[in-house]
Amino acid sequence: MSSIRVNPFPMPDLLAAVEQLQRQQSNATLELATGSSINKPSDNPEGAAQLVKLSDLSSQLDSFQHSVSAISGQFSTADATLSSVVTVLQRAITLGTEGANGTLSDADRQAIVVELTGIQSQLLSLANTSYQGQYIFSGTSTTQPFVLDPTQTSGVRYTGNSGINDVTIGAGYQLQVNVPGSQVFNGAADTFLAINNLITSMESNTGIGTAVTNVGNALTYISGQQAFYGNAINQTQSQQTYLSAQSVGLAQQQNTIGAADLTAVASQLALDQTSQTAALEAIGKMPQTSLFDYLK
Amino acid sequence: MSSLFGSLAIATGALGADQGAMDATTNNVANANTPGYSRLVPVLVQSDPVVIGNVTYGEGVVLQQLRSVRDPILQLRIENETQQQGQLNTVVSAMQQAQVQFTSSSSDIGSEISNLFSSLNQLSTDPTNASLRQSVLAAAGNLSTVFNNTSNALSQQRTNLDLNVSQTVQQVNTLSAQIAGLNTKISQLEGVGQDASAFEDQRDVAIGQLSNLIGVSTIQSDNSLTLTTGNGSPLVVGGQSFNLSTQSNASGFQDVYSQGQDITSKLTSGELGGLVQVRDQTIPGVISNLDTLASGLANAMNAANAKGFDLYGNPGGNIFVPPSGTGQGYAATMAVAITDPSLIAASSDGTQGSNGNIAVLTAVENQNVAGGQTPTDYYSNIVANVGNDVANATAELSSTQLALNQLQDQLGSVSGVSLDEEAANMVQYQRAYDAAANVVTTINDMIYTAINMSTLTV
Repeated sequence: MSSIRVNPFPMPDLLAAVEQLQRQQSNATLELATGSSINKPSDNPEGAAQLVKLSDLSSQLDSFQHSVSAISGQFSTADATLSSVVTVLQRAITLGTEGANGTLSDADRQAIVVELTGIQSQLLSLANTSYQGQYIFSGTSTTQPFVLDPTQTSGVRYTGNSGINDVTIGAGYQLQVNVPGSQVFNGAADTFLAINNLITSMESNTGIGTAVTNVGNALTYISGQQAFYGNAINQTQSQQTYLSAQSVGLAQQQNTIGAADLTAVASQLALDQTSQTAALEAIGKMPQTSLFDYLK
Repeated sequence: MSSLFGSLAIATGALGADQGAMDATTNNVANANTPGYSRLVPVLVQSDPVVIGNVTYGEGVVLQQLRSVRDPILQLRIENETQQQGQLNTVVSAMQQAQVQFTSSSSDIGSEISNLFSSLNQLSTDPTNASLRQSVLAAAGNLSTVFNNTSNALSQQRTNLDLNVSQTVQQVNTLSAQIAGLNTKISQLEGVGQDASAFEDQRDVAIGQLSNLIGVSTIQSDNSLTLTTGNGSPLVVGGQSFNLSTQSNASGFQDVYSQGQDITSKLTSGELGGLVQVRDQTIPGVISNLDTLASGLANAMNAANAKGFDLYGNPGGNIFVPPSGTGQGYAATMAVAITDPSLIAASSDGTQGSNGNIAVLTAVENQNVAGGQTPTDYYSNIVANVGNDVANATAELSSTQLALNQLQDQLGSVSGVSLDEEAANMVQYQRAYDAAANVVTTINDMIYTAINMSTLTV
């Protein structure tokens, strides 16, 4: 026999081919079911490593967004509180200006003193505003920041501290989240001292004009402090927008690396199915007969 | 010898030869599906002629032998590929199990690392909040647990592989003994000039099975065969087999010994090679990387916590149970050291409301805590490495399988039984037998004629 013989047992080869096709189909089906082309690290080791990093980044973005929402509430409360302080001080100035008018009787001024005393306790309460159980103007102390203390010239003592907290709301982006009460109310212009002086002046009917001017200075100063919170609110809003955009970009990146190309996978799956049918048919059509059947 | 009886002898010789040839065909057909069977072909040769005077008379046909058709070189290549396949198969299936631990999920190590730092970020917005503090502790606990589980699952897998090592060694010994027995039979038969192809086929099958289990070198001499492991330790020398044995080593795993020598690290192919490779190198490598990551992270977090003050105003203590010096084995034992969430040192100055130290704690996320890399980068490298191990071995395996298929195809085309061919042979031998039988009848007639010649003349 000089010609090259053909392997009389092609079955193992054919079965190996069918097996390979089945494996491909099961992979493709998994990709279609999960929508992801990386279902285990070996599917794409570098891609899987990338996804680990991206998923960490995405979790960071999420936590920044959470932080932004958490501190936004605090900022709004502080901003609203300082607005109220400004309103209250404006009322004090109005009252002071009225009192400075020499035509008022002692009784009239006493009435003004009563209202100013009310304003004083209102201010105290505003300065002690808390957000979710934490005083806004206590620095990093957790005790009530402003308490009445007759030994002080302003009548109020600051028991908080000058601590400042920063919260990270972006990679390397730390935002200051509080201004200590000592800076807001006892800074360049001391609000409580100004009001206390106005009351004393009103009672003694001396130097009311100067006292009103000082309350005006305090108001201007508080407005300046309020601007901090206004800015902070703006910053958190723009950061929120930025983080959302980042999230979208990150999701796209994750998709590019890990998402299954559904069209390609589906058409490959169809192709594999056809090939498998063909292979099975080939096996089925393999000659069932040999020369033996034709002898006799 | 030109005589009628001479012719009769030639014709009966032909009958015998054809019967013998038919026997080869019958055996081939019978063994068409026997694994490892090499087809037989009858070797027919002319008998030595006889010269009488000027005439040379043919002396008919002799069935010299039934030769089995084999290709030792092809067989050897198949054995080599089988060793590769055995090793890769083991590596792939073991590492496929291992990589499950590193498949991305919401509770894998990477996610739990992210969760820990996210929970700290949340705490920074309200550092006195007890539930936010509690979630930091919970995240630290989850991270420890996932490290423990991953490391333990990998160790468990090593133990399972170790069990397979012992079992495989036993199988190797069984096959070695079987091959030695066959060697004896073959050399006995061949020593007296008989055909031993049936035993050779069996031996080829056994060597194939052995190759799947362990890397072997085959040295074939005239009528004996020597098998050694890849590094030259004897398994079978002629009719004698040499058992491999196992002994527990310091880490409680079975080392493989041959003749009192530890050959574990020299096993590089076959299932045994794959088992030893994954058990002693691949998986310990992964576990050691996890240890590096877990201990680096724990040390960095502890150091960061120590820089701040807890809710009681005391300097921060350890968050995680501190790793021992090298951190070896830490992933399996990592644990949170505290149960009181107030002990998280958020404050940088001792005041309760301060969050200044949280920035120090979260900075660990971008610190090079393990192998000069950040925790997430280091973990992503572990994932990539495990993935690559599986992907590379799988790719090699499929190319080995392809090569093996082709070689087996070739071997089949040399040694495989073709039923068509056998049918054709059968017809051929049957016709030859018919013809020879007719010749016998004719010669018989002629002899009868010759015997009756005298009565005619009388």
